[in-house]
Amino acid sequence: MTRPSVRESRDAASDVPRGERPRSLRRLAPPAMILAGALVIVGLSFLLPPFRNYQLATVGAYFCVTGGLTVLTGLNGQLSLGHGALMATGAYTFALAQNRWLSLPVSLVAAIVVTTVAGLVIGLAAARLRGPYLAGLTLAVAVVVPSVTSTFDEIFNSDQGLSVALDPPPGTIPVEQWQAWLCWAGALLSTSLLAVLVRGRFGRDLRAVRDDETAARLAGVDVARTQVAAFVVSAACAGLSGALFAVLAQSVSPGAFPLTLSLFLLMAIVIGGLGSLAGALGGAFLLVALPTLAQAVAEGTGSPRLEGNLALVIFGVVLVVVMLAAPGGLASIRFRRRRTS
Amino acid sequence: MATDDVATDHVATDHVATDHVATDHRPDELGLHHISVRFGGLTALDDVSLRVAPGRIVGVIGPNGAGKTTLFNIVSGFVTPSEGSLTLGGRPWRPRPHHLNRLGIARTLQGVGQFNGMTVLENVMVGVRGRHAESEAWTALERCGVTRFAGDRPGALPYAVRKRVELARALAARPRILMLDEPAGGLDADEIRWLAGLIKDVGITVLLVEHHMDLVMSVCDEILVLDFGKPIALGTPAEISADPRVTEAYLGTAA
Ligand SMILES: Nc1ncnc2c1ncn2[C@@H]1O[C@H](COP(=O)(O)OP(=O)(O)OP(=O)(O)O)[C@@H](O)[C@H]1O
Ligand SMILES: [Mg+2]
Repeated sequence: MTRPSVRESRDAASDVPRGERPRSLRRLAPPAMILAGALVIVGLSFLLPPFRNYQLATVGAYFCVTGGLTVLTGLNGQLSLGHGALMATGAYTFALAQNRWLSLPVSLVAAIVVTTVAGLVIGLAAARLRGPYLAGLTLAVAVVVPSVTSTFDEIFNSDQGLSVALDPPPGTIPVEQWQAWLCWAGALLSTSLLAVLVRGRFGRDLRAVRDDETAARLAGVDVARTQVAAFVVSAACAGLSGALFAVLAQSVSPGAFPLTLSLFLLMAIVIGGLGSLAGALGGAFLLVALPTLAQAVAEGTGSPRLEGNLALVIFGVVLVVVMLAAPGGLASIRFRRRRTS
Repeated sequence: MATDDVATDHVATDHVATDHVATDHRPDELGLHHISVRFGGLTALDDVSLRVAPGRIVGVIGPNGAGKTTLFNIVSGFVTPSEGSLTLGGRPWRPRPHHLNRLGIARTLQGVGQFNGMTVLENVMVGVRGRHAESEAWTALERCGVTRFAGDRPGALPYAVRKRVELARALAARPRILMLDEPAGGLDADEIRWLAGLIKDVGITVLLVEHHMDLVMSVCDEILVLDFGKPIALGTPAEISADPRVTEAYLGTAA
């Protein structure tokens, strides 16, 4: 065994001035982040044609859910295959509330609240489960939630789903631009809240539980409560995301939230870089870009039926390539460069 | 009556204002009373009683599998005793792992229990509740001589540094009772000397499980010897090293 150089460090310790101690570089204030993000989005939305604005909006809607999922899976180590189902919960709640009260804020809040409660229930069960058992539980959620819609078909209108009544955008703003603003308002708000949350005590607790439950307990972390909290926060984001998708599609149906959606979400955050909100943004972008690419390829080769599977294939290939080239995901590439420079 | 109350109040307030240490009401006295633990057919602890008095350094030794870690698991609430009870500060107590930190009890794990996904500084900050987590963490890192590793991930560091980081995390919350499970395991002579110094100077109640006899004998006020879960001796280091039952237990397992 080589002699570790602890003793030198003991002497060196005293002459490390407090000011020079390493600090996290990512200390941009959240209000500044929101403002900068909002300016970029609003600016972009005036430049982009309607369809691109629609895609921009979709990235924002995805960013809500990937942000929450990367906190749950990346920072707290809880795998969820049920986030597609949580999005469905948010979307249906939004649709029902909207068709009844026709008030966007009320429906959005309702979607978040109901999904958060669902997340609390799942989280309470999940906190007792580990590894494959947890995956199994969330898989069950993914299967059961859509089937609820066909069981209570007088409320949810079964496979056809519900159309969503929406007020027209204010003034003369095109629908797609309005959607982009809405989705990104939700995305920026929820992900900045996440950023604030995970930066401090809660974030440390999340990661401590992920890394070593026993040591975390001894350090005073209530493991079960931390895990439930992570699920609740993550579910709230999924609920908001689902509601935004309902706004985008102006309808909800069980087919919009299949199990493959949950798989895509997981792949997206892994490719982006688990546990990183920047990675979640990258993942959200890929969730829109890769299916578009698949569509183009399928049309190019003249086999439109290939399209659905091709997206999965492309995602799989990207996942493998990224994992080989940068096991920490896309976000880690940038990080590594910064460290070596 | 009323004047009495006022007077007491007054004294108490004075006390708070002038004497910082006396405001720390976290208990530092630990009692184990006739503790037995059975795992199925295996008796891991058999009627163990021990009083750890405030400020004392109490060692727990015994061959592999004697039940030392199980004893720690009892005190930290990971294992519920089949029989017997615990007291903390003289009061009956049912420990829960995540309450220890708040009660002023810190424990390190056999080997290292670390959060490899965060920096050394963050690792130590996990152990400190409250607003001053960062400065308290720095103080603990300084005390353990590992400030210069603050920004590193523990997984990449030498074993001895990781052990020190774990100690720093245990000390960061300024505990009143410190439980160390084989802190010298895997360390060289220099490191062990440093560790002995730290234990002697730490100034709080210490419960030390350790195989390294020189360390145990040099730092402990009192030593409990376990063999197959049974307490076979309890006394000062001098008494323990002269006790024939102890040498027998060790030779018996060595043969
Ligand atoms: N959770 C458990 N379930 C079943 N058996 C256990 C459990 N924990 C400990 N044991 C058993 O109890 C006995 C005492 O184990 P313990 O870990 O307390 O020994 P130890 O004195 O710490 O040994 P070492 O010096 O090797 O660390 C061993 O036989 C062990 O296998
Ligand atoms: Mg042990």
